[in-house]
Amino acid sequence: MKRRQGWLFFIIFLLTLSVYLLINYPLQLGLDLQGGSQLTLQIIKEEGKVTRDELEAVNSVIDKRVNNLGVSESNLQTLGGDQLILELPGEQNPLVASRVLGKTALLEFRTQKEGTSKDLRSLQLQRFSIKELIEKYSFAEKNQNDDNFLKVIEDDLKDLEKELNYSSTSNDLYGKLIEIKKYIDKEITDLFIKTDLSGRDLINAGRRQEQTNSNWEVLLTFSNSGGEKFAEITKSIAGTNQLLAIILDGESISEASVGNQFASTGITGGSATISGNFSAENARELEVQLKGGSLPLPIEIVETNSIGALLGSKNILKSLYAAISGLIFVGIFMIFNYRILGFVSVLSLVLYGFFNLAIYSLIPVTLTLPGISGLILSIGMAVDANILIFERIREELYDGNTLTRSIDSGFQRANSSIVDGHITTLLSCFVLFLLGTNFVKGFAATLGIGVLISLFTSLNCSKNILRFFTTYQSLRQKNLYLPRNNFSN
Amino acid sequence: MKYNLELIKNKRKIIGFSTVLILLSLLGILYSTFNTSYKKPINLGMDFVGGNELRIERICKEECSDFSPDSVLEKLRENSKNKNLLNNIKLQSQNNNKLISIRTPYLSIEESNNLISNLDNIIGPLNYESKDSRLIGPKLGKRLLTNCVTSLLVSLFAISLYITIRFDKKYALFALLALFHDLLIVFGIFSWLGIILSVEVNSLFAVSLLTIAGYSVNDTVVIFDRIRENLKSKNEGYNETIQLSVNESFRRTTFTSITTLIPLLSLILFGSYSLFWFSLALSLGIIVGSYSSILLAPSLLLKD
Repeated sequence: MKRRQGWLFFIIFLLTLSVYLLINYPLQLGLDLQGGSQLTLQIIKEEGKVTRDELEAVNSVIDKRVNNLGVSESNLQTLGGDQLILELPGEQNPLVASRVLGKTALLEFRTQKEGTSKDLRSLQLQRFSIKELIEKYSFAEKNQNDDNFLKVIEDDLKDLEKELNYSSTSNDLYGKLIEIKKYIDKEITDLFIKTDLSGRDLINAGRRQEQTNSNWEVLLTFSNSGGEKFAEITKSIAGTNQLLAIILDGESISEASVGNQFASTGITGGSATISGNFSAENARELEVQLKGGSLPLPIEIVETNSIGALLGSKNILKSLYAAISGLIFVGIFMIFNYRILGFVSVLSLVLYGFFNLAIYSLIPVTLTLPGISGLILSIGMAVDANILIFERIREELYDGNTLTRSIDSGFQRANSSIVDGHITTLLSCFVLFLLGTNFVKGFAATLGIGVLISLFTSLNCSKNILRFFTTYQSLRQKNLYLPRNNFSN
Repeated sequence: MKYNLELIKNKRKIIGFSTVLILLSLLGILYSTFNTSYKKPINLGMDFVGGNELRIERICKEECSDFSPDSVLEKLRENSKNKNLLNNIKLQSQNNNKLISIRTPYLSIEESNNLISNLDNIIGPLNYESKDSRLIGPKLGKRLLTNCVTSLLVSLFAISLYITIRFDKKYALFALLALFHDLLIVFGIFSWLGIILSVEVNSLFAVSLLTIAGYSVNDTVVIFDRIRENLKSKNEGYNETIQLSVNESFRRTTFTSITTLIPLLSLILFGSYSLFWFSLALSLGIIVGSYSSILLAPSLLLKD
């Protein structure tokens, strides 16, 4: 008797503990419940698998960039060895993040090959033309399509292609414009020779508005060795007509000459500015990318989900209705069919609910829509165990056994079926969790936790509550445990 | 309350019925593979093929004005840079023209934002707080599909292994037959739904199949447990004992199914739309699963 009451106290203790946990460590809601955006970044590697070190390196670069972007409460985690998941809660636009994160941001400093001044000059002009055409095109897009205007752009593009001796293969005009621009960028980059100075030699980056106009420039601060390399490079081309190009991801963003006055020492001081007609936004994006360093492997954004805050709170309400109405109807069904036993199962279901939520806040499990459906579904599983036991108890009662004996052997005999059933479901959950996506993992986690807790609540809690009930004489009448139309039995 | 299912008498009917269901499912799968535009056994959704799905509500004073989806699409095309992407666009309105849903092939975030602002110009104002947008790249889609198929196969293998170790060969074989029967029928129903209503399946469908597998085996295990126990303790004929065991566990199996169906029904009725087909697949699986555990699997055990 004493031991049984001990269990009962233990259950009450667990319940209090759960309530305490839930109050002090509120549940974490997933983005589909609170609104926000989620980006999945895929690391691209042509050959072989992404190694752990590479994943870590990419993760730390992305992490730095996210921090420098100043998005609040963002969350970055790795998934499955070659993916990263970035969560941006609230109404933060994923566009900026995707622009900043998606770029490799490989910064190179290159010096011009000798005798290419003429080629460079014509390419620079052509680059100017293509940029202008792209701008014209965007303008035409915004102000409804004027076919004549587009025709002019198309003709200009054809002239440019002739000049370049290159014909584009894209189907639509916009694609062609972009293709030609890429071609020109590559041609320009090819006129320059790589040096050993790169983005790795930076220790900081900043931005400021140019004094003469409203454009922005980006400031680079080199490490000691980087500063020396920079001085060396500038010294080698100072006073010549070779230019120094700063190249970002294969596109030259600045070409500048180095004055004769630097011929003896090069540009010292360990810093440089890039003034390439940046807008405030572009300058900030470049700053963030340079501060974070370049990505060791390119990444691609393969999935974006965004959910409005209003929809999120609607989702919470809907899930809440579903969960509560499900619980109530299951409770009615159980009490109607199993009477006092049904009442016991309702009590252990309530315990089940609290324990589950407490575990979520303890681990912590982020609650998502699929997660909630896993929880709701596991209610069925938890009740299932109770039904198995109650049916056994009734059979024992029909066989003329005493109440206490029936209860004991009911629990005992239903044991193996319950454990079997739970194990098969757990197996499914385990596999889902290992192989599934983020989305699926939420479901597998809550269902799995539910199945484990239901083993405890249905085998232990139900038993002890029931035994406690039977200590009251008035609750010991057999007919309270049998179906209504079986009173005579 | 005693139940009296005449299993022995109806063995042929039960097996016949299941055979018809399986043939219908196979027919749906074959028809779907060869005679539909997507040429797959089942209509794969955005999760698996990639694409862009957008749902957003309009802000309307009282009633939302009527519009024709075709003319909106026409205007969207006019305003779009990338003509190719909008060739395959689908637009629907629900809730008295309030809720708009759009499906397109994969777009970048920038293109998707452009699409939304164009849409806002045409039939706005739109309520951005109610936005639900999903962009899935084709690469990820393929990967998800492989992942789902692998997890299904691995967990079916794990369950089979467990059952084979746990039971005699004969029991294990029939429990697994019942399991594959359930999965095939649910799959078949969704093949047909894809053909008739163009319902698509996404990764949650794979999850529902896995969950159904767990449930179905669980139900069958409980009945087989009872049969084993009774075969040991009762001195009646083999077939009669099986029939008796099924009747003894009939209440438990139906009740369990009902208590599982109740929350699922609440999810179908009250839950978020993204869980609708998922809950439906689970409900169907549980209904088919209890049928196969109560009637089919024990009938297979019967001797002629």
